[in-house]
Order: sequence, then C-alpha cells, then structure tokens
Amino acid sequence: MSESSRSVAPSAGPVRSFDFPPVHADVLDNGLRIRSVQVGRLPVVTAMLVLDAGEALLDDSRAGTAVLTGDCLEGGTAKRSGVELAEALETIGAGLSIGTGWDSTTVSLSCMADRLDDAIGLLAEVVLQPAFPDDEVERIRGQRLAAIHQREMDPVGIATTASRRLTYRDGVPYGRPLGGSVESVGPFNPTAAAGFVVAQYRPKGSGLVVVGDVDPGQVRSLVETHFGEWTGGTGLRPGIDAEARTHERGIVVVHRADAVQSEIRIGHVGQARSTPLYFALRVVNTVLGGAFTSRLNLNLREEHGFTYGVRSRFLVRRGEGPWCVSTAVGTDVTADAVREAVSEITTLVADGPTAEEVDAARDYLAGVFPLELETTGQIAARIAELLVYDLPDDYYADYRDRIRSVTLEEACEAARGCIRPDEMTVVVGGDADEVQGPLEGLGWGTVTVARRSEYARAWTDRQ
Amino acid sequence: MLSIPIERFTLDNGLRVNLSHDATTPVVAVNLWYGVGSRNEREGKTGFAHLFEHMMFQGSEHVPKNRHFELIERAGGSLNATTWFDRTNYFETVPSHHLELALWLESDRMGWMLPAMTQGKLDNQRDVVMNEKRQRYDNQPYGDWDEWIQAMVFPESHPYHHTVIGSMEDIEAATLEDVAEFFQTYYVPNNAVLTVCGDFGRDEALDLIERHFGEIAPGEEIPAIPGDLNLDPTIGATVRERVEAEVPLPRVLMAYRVPPYTDAGFYAADIAGSVLGTGRASRLYRSLVRERRVAKDVTSFVLPLTSGAGMLLVWATGFPDGDPCEIEAALAAEMEGLSSVTDQEIKRAVALTETALVRQIEQVGQRADLVSMFDQFFDDPARLNGELERLRAVTPADVSAFVSGFLGAENRAVLTYVPATVKSATPGVA
Repeated sequence: MSESSRSVAPSAGPVRSFDFPPVHADVLDNGLRIRSVQVGRLPVVTAMLVLDAGEALLDDSRAGTAVLTGDCLEGGTAKRSGVELAEALETIGAGLSIGTGWDSTTVSLSCMADRLDDAIGLLAEVVLQPAFPDDEVERIRGQRLAAIHQREMDPVGIATTASRRLTYRDGVPYGRPLGGSVESVGPFNPTAAAGFVVAQYRPKGSGLVVVGDVDPGQVRSLVETHFGEWTGGTGLRPGIDAEARTHERGIVVVHRADAVQSEIRIGHVGQARSTPLYFALRVVNTVLGGAFTSRLNLNLREEHGFTYGVRSRFLVRRGEGPWCVSTAVGTDVTADAVREAVSEITTLVADGPTAEEVDAARDYLAGVFPLELETTGQIAARIAELLVYDLPDDYYADYRDRIRSVTLEEACEAARGCIRPDEMTVVVGGDADEVQGPLEGLGWGTVTVARRSEYARAWTDRQ
Repeated sequence: MLSIPIERFTLDNGLRVNLSHDATTPVVAVNLWYGVGSRNEREGKTGFAHLFEHMMFQGSEHVPKNRHFELIERAGGSLNATTWFDRTNYFETVPSHHLELALWLESDRMGWMLPAMTQGKLDNQRDVVMNEKRQRYDNQPYGDWDEWIQAMVFPESHPYHHTVIGSMEDIEAATLEDVAEFFQTYYVPNNAVLTVCGDFGRDEALDLIERHFGEIAPGEEIPAIPGDLNLDPTIGATVRERVEAEVPLPRVLMAYRVPPYTDAGFYAADIAGSVLGTGRASRLYRSLVRERRVAKDVTSFVLPLTSGAGMLLVWATGFPDGDPCEIEAALAAEMEGLSSVTDQEIKRAVALTETALVRQIEQVGQRADLVSMFDQFFDDPARLNGELERLRAVTPADVSAFVSGFLGAENRAVLTYVPATVKSATPGVA
C-alpha cells in the first residue's frame, strides 16, 4: 500500500442492515406475559423472569426489603433445601442470577438449550414456592449487614451515597442506598420476605422472557406447565415524587483522612425513563460524558491527566433518577478537576453541542446498538426493559431511526432543559485537609465538610 | 462439541492471521495479541508494558491523537486494550462494513507508531496511568492484594514477582527512549496474532489484511524473558503476611503455585478451582458461607499463566468481628479436603464451565480473543474447539493427585487483612 493511500482513513463498505429479532408476545390466563425470541447461533438459552418488585415501592423504614427478599430466594423452596436447590441448578450448568433494582426484581438463568425445561421448572419453583427458612434468612441478613458496612468504608460507596442523599429530599427512595441501611435491614425476617412475595411477586405485572435456541411456538406450553398455577392480582405501584433537596449550587466534602484520590460526583435530579426527550438526552450525554471522545473525558483525562476516566449518566427510572457526572482524581488536582468539569457542563448548556458533535453521537449510538445485542442475555435484558417501562413490543424496530432523527435543535433544547448548572451539588469524597481550601478558592461559596458517617448512615434521620 | 470455524494464515513478515466467520449479526471483531506483557519488563521498568499500551492510543504517523477513538466511535464501534502477564491485546468490534477502518488503524500503529510520539503525550499518559493505579489499587480496600500475593508466590528472580500495574516510581521514570526501544523490540508482526471474527467476506478480508499489514517489516527475534523462569513446582513452605489497613472487614487470601496453562496438569487445577469456589453449591460457599458462617463471601480463580507456573487463588471475607485465624483454618481444611472429590462435583463444575464458555463465545469480540490466545499460547487456534473435552476428561483421581501435589501447607501463601483503627474521622485532627 502506498504512503499516500495510507494517509487517508478507508471509507466504509456497503452497510448490512440490522433488524432487532422478532419478539413473539403471548400471555397466560393468569396475566403472566411471555416474550420469546429465537436466536439459533449457539445451543444456549436465557430465561429471565421480571417481577414488579423494585426497591422504589418501599418507604425508608423497610428499605432493602426487595433486595433481601431476592437474595433469600437461594435459601430453598418447599421441595428443596438451599443446598439441594443450588445442586439442582448447577448440575445443569445454570447459575441463578437475582438482580433487584429500583423498578424490578429479575430472576434469570442461562443454560444449554436442551436443559431449558428443567431450568424453567426450577425458576418457577424458586419464585412460586420460596421457603425462607429462619436459619437461611438470618444468614443472608447478616451478609447484607456486612455488605452495608463495606459500602460505608468504600471510597466509591461513600461518595455515591452522599451524592444521592444530597440530591433528593428526605423520604424520596432514590436518595438512599439501594440495599438499605443497618436500621432498615435490622428487623428483616422470614415474615417480611414472605409478605413482600405475596404483595409483589404476582403473575399480573410480571413477564417471562425466553431468548435463544428455542422454538417460540413451544415456549407457551413450557411456561404454562410451570407457571400456569400462579395466581394473584396486580401488586402495588405507587408513583414516585422525586423531589430535589435543593435548587442551589453547593459543594460538600466527605472527609477521608490521607485519601490519595478524591471521588467526585456532580449532579442533580435527572429524568424519568418516560421522558419525551429520551433520545435527545442520549445524544447530549454522549457528547458530555458518555463516550471516550466526550468533552469531559478529552479534557480531564486526555488533556490534563487528572483522572483515569470520567463519565456522565442520566439514570432513568420510573421516576426521575439522578443525572450524575463521576470521576476519581488525584488529591492535588481536585479543585482544578471540579473547575474544568463544571466549565464543560456550563458551556455545553449555554452554547449547546455542535452539529458535528450531534452527528458523531448519533452515529455512535445507532452503530453500537447491534453490538449490544449479540448474546441471549443482552437481548433478554433489552426486552425486560420494555416490560418494566410499559414500552411497546416493537419499540426496538425503529430505535436506530429515532436516534438518527434527533436534530441539533432538539439536542440543544434537551441540554438546556435537563442540565441546570446553577443547581448542581458537587460531592468530593477525599482528604478535606487538602482539598477544602482549593475548593473554596473556586469562589462558589462555602464548602461544607462532613464526616463520612453523616452520609453513610444518617439518611434515615429526619433533619 | 464446539465447532467454531477457524482458518489460519501466516504473512511473509511472520504475522499470524486467523479468520473465523459468523454472519449472525452484522458486526466484526478485530483482535490483536502481542506476545509481550509485564513478564518482559526489566528491573526498574515495572508497569511499562501497560504504560506502553496507553501510548498505542496516542496516535500514529497517519492518525492524530484522539482520532483512533473518534473514528471507531463514529463508526458505531467499541474498542479497548488490556495488558497482562504474558501478553497485551488490542481489540475493536465494529459494524461489519467498517472492517477496513479497524484494520487500517491497527496496522498504522503496528507499523508507524513512533513518528507520532511526543514528550507531552508521554507526560499526559503517565499521569493517567498513575491515576489508574490510585483508583484501582491504592484507593481501594484490599487493592494492593496482588502486589503482596505475587511477591509471595513467585521469587524475586521470576517475572511474575511484580504486578502488571508496576510501581509509581518506575512509571514516573519512563522515557521516550523506552517507548522507542519497546516498540522496536516487541511490536513487530512476527510477535503478533491477528484474529478477525464475525461477518466478513473471506477473500476480501485476506486482501485487506495483506494490503494493510503486509508491508510492515518484521523485527528481530524476540529477546528471552528476563529473570529466571525455572521454578520449583511448589513454594516449598507456608509463607504469610498480615496487613493492617483501612479495610472494612477481615479477609484471608490463599494462593498456590500450580502447573502452567501449557501443561496438561493445568486442567485438574482448573476443575479443582471450580469445585472449590464456582457457584452456590461449591465447597467453599457451602462450608464457609452457608454452614459455618465464618465468611460473608468467597472467591476462587485459577490464573492460566504460561511462564513456569500458574496460580490458584481463593479468598474469604469475614464479618466485622470475625477471627482471621478461624477463616484461615476453615479455608485450609477445605483445600486439603478436596482430595476426596466426587464424580458429581466434577460434573457440576464442567456443566457450569460449559455454559460460561458458550456464553462467552456468543460475542465475536470474546471469541476472537480466545482464538488469538490459543494461537499465541499453543500455536494452535483451533484448540478452542476441544477445550471442553479436555475439562471433561479430568477424573477424581486427577484432582486428588493435584490436591496432594499442590494444595498442601508446603505450597501456600497466606495474606491476611485486618481492619486498622480508622485514623481520623474528623478533618483537621491528625
């Protein structure tokens, strides 16, 4: 290849179209929704049960109940002890994975396709007949308490916990750590677990997603066999009033003596999953801090070397989740990093992204879409998202077109409407003796210094 | 059981090339393994292989700084690189019509990296890497465990004695001359494997690879790995360290020298590791977490290293008031008790590994990485297809022999973390 031809990036070949694989939708008489997708590249299958049983349903006094109930499913069923259950699942190569978030609990497993019948039978047994033996619930509660203790000493946990607490008004679930506190987890017992299952593990509002080397025509009878006897109406679904704690800018340092880095969080209340600006916001966030070549990363990492990386995220949920920029920087450059980050955010909101940036972000987001849909687990998780957020089954059919149709004006409007530089709370988890003075030097008013225990634990306090 | 199609070629300059076709999704992975890692670092240069990996993203003669990322992200692709003991890998997954872009970018930095290097770029990436070390190791509870463990399991003369991230002093001391020398020595086509996996036309891909990589000159023979690779199969004693640190919970780690990945004995070690610590029915979870309740979590893994020995590692994290001695005794009992492994336990371990491997190769990027690995380590990329059979062939007698040979007290490194009293919760009070 000649020198001259090497100096120009090659042009793209002909585009091959990508279609989200067809989703077969069905529903059992008891209301359980079924979604199945045939992907036959390898003899593997993922089954994912989505329950309308997230942490956001719970008030502060019961925080952690959804997470703990999910964790306690491994304690055994009416038919099997916890050990026997683990043996049965793992002998067919199916590790059980239980994930609890703000909006749902998912119980899922993947296994070789010829073991699907056994696997779905075990999945049903775990969810419909959990036993919650005293001894196992006590063990798992103890593990959760130890995990809370770990979070309270972890630099990432300390900064994130303080940031969420300072973002939301007292009593908003999103202001507390997902897994609850020592105080709220303390009283958890088998009765609480069983009560949560009766209230929220119900066929109406739930969905079973099956993706992989399986004939969708056979999925219904398989699901009917194992889940047909499940009964119960719809569980609770209270609305979320995700009110902000403050509309003023502030800086809080959570002190960790001799910390070699500062964990920085900058943010405020963001948007719900249902926002009409969803696609425009994805574009805006990509420009700000959602890709390697984002403004924040090119500034803080590639220009200044302050950090290994920085990112911005809109954590969209049923209610307004947080918008948060996060990074970890050297202690001596903490104030410089905060100044640069805030400057990038402020400029983006004031001037908007450029046409070139919007183009690049749209191409990136539309292009990576199929890259994130290679595995049965990835496809199942995407479909589960439709069930949790009441989105139509054909939602992904024009997903890439909707990304590509975001205009420069829409992106500018989304940036202005959803990012409010004057209302940002900056949290710095680091050595206050080193960073307080330089942060005050930024001229944004008083820098509040807190001991970590104030934000690690005291969110249940009514101040 | 696996039948991944793999075609292998070698260019005149020594570059090994593997093509693995799968048109299920219109994406293609480009994956490059260079046969250089932290094991090739000399004294005073620890962490350099990893710092060099960062410099590979700082542009090349025809690609300005940041352009590599911009072009791949614009194309809707993902990319990264990792440095490990025995190798460094670089990879892109892109929509299939952008295959040539990825090949051009990889070839430009393989052939034309040095003209783009500047002191400013090196200074910037030294800062980034030092912040990576702070974030991932120094500012993390237990974050320095591998520094301790590697130094305990491998003697100072062995290249696995030091970590991939290296020391702050050595990172800080790196120069542009080091960059040039490292590039000319190791980043040569005869020290690399290129795998393309996914949706592509065979002849077109071969033509593009020849066009972009064919003119890169081969380098000299790769120098021997520094240090002494001859190792006793075992450590020869129980070695122990106790670290008081700002950690929330006590944790006991145990590490063992085991046969290297390139030795047939490795598979018994791998199965033993899964029987011990993979899944909720594993021995460690069942005993330490579920029944005796001395640990809140347990972990086990086996590092498939190739130079002299591999390493099997387990750890258990205790409760706030837990006694590390009790955790250590419980771990040791399970390690030694593994000599009585059953057929059923092996069956469970193989079934979990099978699902994990098949799920891994669902992604063309992961599949390409495995093909490159088998080529680099075994000179046999298609070995991937027989990996499960090698695990299935392990018998209880093999595991027993492995346990009596390797998991006893004469081959044990024990690292104990105990929570130190928190220095100062109140700012301004020393």
